[in-house]
Amino acid sequence: MPYKTSPVLDRELKKGSAELLILSLVEDQPRHGYDIGNLIERRSKGTLKFNLASLYPLLYRLEKRGWIQGRWVEKAGQRRRRYYRLTAEGKKVLAAQRHSWREFVEAINRITGIENA
Amino acid sequence: MPDWKEEVRHRLSGLKLAPPREAEIVEELAQHLEEVYERSLKSGATETQAKQTALREVAGDDLLKGIQRSQKRVSEAPVPETSGRPNLPTDLLHDLRYALRMLLKNPSFTIVAVIALALGIGANTAIFSVVNTVLLRPLPYRDADRLVTVWEDDSRRGFPRETPAAANYVDWCDQNRVFDGMAAIADAGFNLTGAGDPERLEGRSVSANLFPMLGVEPQIGRVFNATEDQPGAQRVVVLSYGLWQRRFGGETSIIGKSLTLNGDSYTVVGVMPARFQFPSSDDQAWVPIAFTTEQTGNRDAHYLQVIAKLKPGVTLQQAQAEMSTIAARLQQQYPESNADLGAAVISLHEHLVGDIKPALLILLGAVGLVLLIACANVANLLLARAAARQKEIAVRVALGARRLRLIRQFLTESVLLSTLGGLVGLAIAFLGLLLLKSFIPENISQAREIAIDLKVLGFTLFVSVATGVIFGLAPAIQAVRFNQIETLKEGGRDAATGGSGKRLRSVLVVAEVAISLVLLIGAGLLINSFLRLRNVDPGFRTDNLLTMKIVVPESKYTEFEPWSAFYTDVIQRVQSLPGVRSAAVITNLPLYRQGNTNSIRIEGTPEPPPGQAPVVATRVISPGYFETMSIPLLSGRNFTDQDLVTARNGSVVISETMARRYWPNEDPIGKRIAFGFLPLKSDEDWIQVIGVVKDVRQFELATESRPQMYLTYRQYALFAPRDLVVKTDVEPTSLATSVRNAVWEIDKDQPVSNIQTMEAIFADSLARQRFSMLLLAIFAGVALVLAAVGIYGVMSYSVAQRTHEIGIRMALGAQTPAVLKLAVGYGMKLVIAGLVIGLIAAFALTRLMSTLLFGVTATDPATFTLISALLIGVAAIASYVPARRATKVDPMIALRYE
Repeated sequence: MPYKTSPVLDRELKKGSAELLILSLVEDQPRHGYDIGNLIERRSKGTLKFNLASLYPLLYRLEKRGWIQGRWVEKAGQRRRRYYRLTAEGKKVLAAQRHSWREFVEAINRITGIENA
Repeated sequence: MPDWKEEVRHRLSGLKLAPPREAEIVEELAQHLEEVYERSLKSGATETQAKQTALREVAGDDLLKGIQRSQKRVSEAPVPETSGRPNLPTDLLHDLRYALRMLLKNPSFTIVAVIALALGIGANTAIFSVVNTVLLRPLPYRDADRLVTVWEDDSRRGFPRETPAAANYVDWCDQNRVFDGMAAIADAGFNLTGAGDPERLEGRSVSANLFPMLGVEPQIGRVFNATEDQPGAQRVVVLSYGLWQRRFGGETSIIGKSLTLNGDSYTVVGVMPARFQFPSSDDQAWVPIAFTTEQTGNRDAHYLQVIAKLKPGVTLQQAQAEMSTIAARLQQQYPESNADLGAAVISLHEHLVGDIKPALLILLGAVGLVLLIACANVANLLLARAAARQKEIAVRVALGARRLRLIRQFLTESVLLSTLGGLVGLAIAFLGLLLLKSFIPENISQAREIAIDLKVLGFTLFVSVATGVIFGLAPAIQAVRFNQIETLKEGGRDAATGGSGKRLRSVLVVAEVAISLVLLIGAGLLINSFLRLRNVDPGFRTDNLLTMKIVVPESKYTEFEPWSAFYTDVIQRVQSLPGVRSAAVITNLPLYRQGNTNSIRIEGTPEPPPGQAPVVATRVISPGYFETMSIPLLSGRNFTDQDLVTARNGSVVISETMARRYWPNEDPIGKRIAFGFLPLKSDEDWIQVIGVVKDVRQFELATESRPQMYLTYRQYALFAPRDLVVKTDVEPTSLATSVRNAVWEIDKDQPVSNIQTMEAIFADSLARQRFSMLLLAIFAGVALVLAAVGIYGVMSYSVAQRTHEIGIRMALGAQTPAVLKLAVGYGMKLVIAGLVIGLIAAFALTRLMSTLLFGVTATDPATFTLISALLIGVAAIASYVPARRATKVDPMIALRYE
């Protein structure tokens, strides 16, 4: 049985990466909240999971900052859903966050020797 | 299925958000829960398990806290306050930077405001550049402000600016002491023959002193000298730059060459510069006027234009007084010809732009009003924003910011906004001018020179800054005039949301409605006039008619027979062309705004006192004219072959108005008239009326038909026909070449010019009216859109403010229609107030445009009613949309909203 990581580290990691995750997911196409939550869970194979209470406040905060923008979209035969798309400003933020995240991960890797240094 | 909305609403009950936003969040989260619930069901859970799974997502108070945190305002960067003494440049820089940041932060607000301002400023810039070029820029002549035109004042017969007779002109020159010189101009057309195709040139014969008086030097060569301005002197000509370039390739060797004009040889002595267009841009050649003694003794032929230069220090009024005295003296001296004949002195500038001035000033006024509406809209937006920024301001005031400093900060923002609007407006004006130029009728002088120059740029800058101050001042003062303690307290009501703020916004809406009503009514009146004018029956059919000028120089035929044979041959040959139904000639086609008149005697009536003989419009035609133009014969007969010999007694066809005027209640057929200017020597001088035709709008569409008579060129060489008109079975322009060639087969030296369809002449005659109508309609349309946006904005805001009240009403059972009525009713109250004020203003203002109207009065009730209804309709929609949205709000949320 593997060692459990500390819950604090877990939470902080999640917090630090959450913005980046959401921005990345709405980069190519607008998505609604449920879809975003689902994708994070599926693509991380269950490692990362946002419940409603943490996902939506984050979406609203990003929207308030003007990085993403929500729009009600109605499609035939479906009820209307709120889709979020990346704004021009969000694009810049995403690029910057990706860059620093990559640097951060590389730095961590170099120090912890996870990859063959 | 569980009521997910209720579950979410319940958990968010502590949230204080605007009801529409809260309703959105509830809807979105409820959907999420439903999806979780459904997924659980699909994966085999029971309903209870699924519900638990879903509710786990919203367990605890994480959601409420999270959303509360997420909705907190992104903190505003406070304005850096300089301590101690104010430092103007630094402060300004800070203000600018801060203002820029505020504008960038609210891109949608900024874009809407900039577009509204750009439309207003752009329209003003475009119209001002026209006004600047046409009305304000001095004429391109030396001492242009001293140049005047002098006219005979024949007001009694309806001609306050009659072209002077040569003898009167000579007396004016000799007797006045107010002018530094006077020059005469007469119309002159030239048939240029010799090298290349024969060509008709429009030109003038002018006094030799005209060019020195205007102070314009020739491009090459010289102008006339005094000896050339004598009868019998060597014939000389000065060419226009355009003609020189086009026909003679701009060769300087043209000077000294001779040209054949109207069959005579003229020596070219000079070429005028490109910008010289005098008196009109059509003129291509000038020759000396060289009055003969016969001409200088003639007081009956009124055909001159007289230009004079005031002596330094002499005013227009002094010159007018002097000329009136001289005219009175001439009345005494020559009662036969000069009875009631005065003199009128009018500045050259006024003469050139007088016609277009009222229309341009009205357009300038109209765009000014459009800008005011744009200002009101932006002021409204700023007021709403100021309300949202109350707390920020309160904090800053509490921290010691001076209010004046804050007002300056607000003004910096609004002026920055209006300057941005001005920049975009300049681009709009540039594009607008390109469009405007294509609409400007050719006959507006200087139309081609219209451009955005330094003066226009200055104007735009001034308007932009002034606009910014005007729409920025009210919200700025509004925003800092409140009790900051109240605002700082939790739940304190904002000053701008209640009381005076609401009142100010309402006033702005009322003003917008009033102003746009005035503009719309003005545009409505012009559109109405234009439609009526276009529907005026000209008295003939315009379709399938090809027209062209064939002007035969007087010197070409000295004998009547060959002269008359020329026209007969032309008509015959053109009529034999395939596709031609008939052809005819006439001295002046209708709608050209020119033509001849003659005084007449009527047999059996007493000789009228001198100068009071009846005057009728005279046209010399070929017999096929009525048929070609489809002018119906009302009684009697058309000219027949019997009339086409120079018979002892001539025949005349008259118009119905002439018949009614001179033979009321009598059959005019068989009655006789004679020319008033010829002494009656024998019975052969009488001309018999043989037919009556329907009236034609001979001069222009807007002018009622005057008494008119038609003679044939076969009997009377009174005036030479100049226009050929061809009725075709095919598209008229397709015959242009073959008709022209037919004329050239008869006389290869005969110029054929101005080839156009009658429909084009008809359209051209409406060009000026169409121009003013289109522009005013565009401005009124912009005004309507801006006003609708303004009403919509204010209604949205007011409905949002009243959400609580609406919630209570709906909770108490009010039905949607009742709530709608309540909300729309408020908007309509403002609209009605604006409408009343606008109607009063329109009643007062549309009188100013009565000279532009045709067939409608300036207070046309139908236009006023229709436009009011239109505005009410648009306003109702603009207030219905936000009101409708208000009724969609969940009453539960609306009730909690405070």
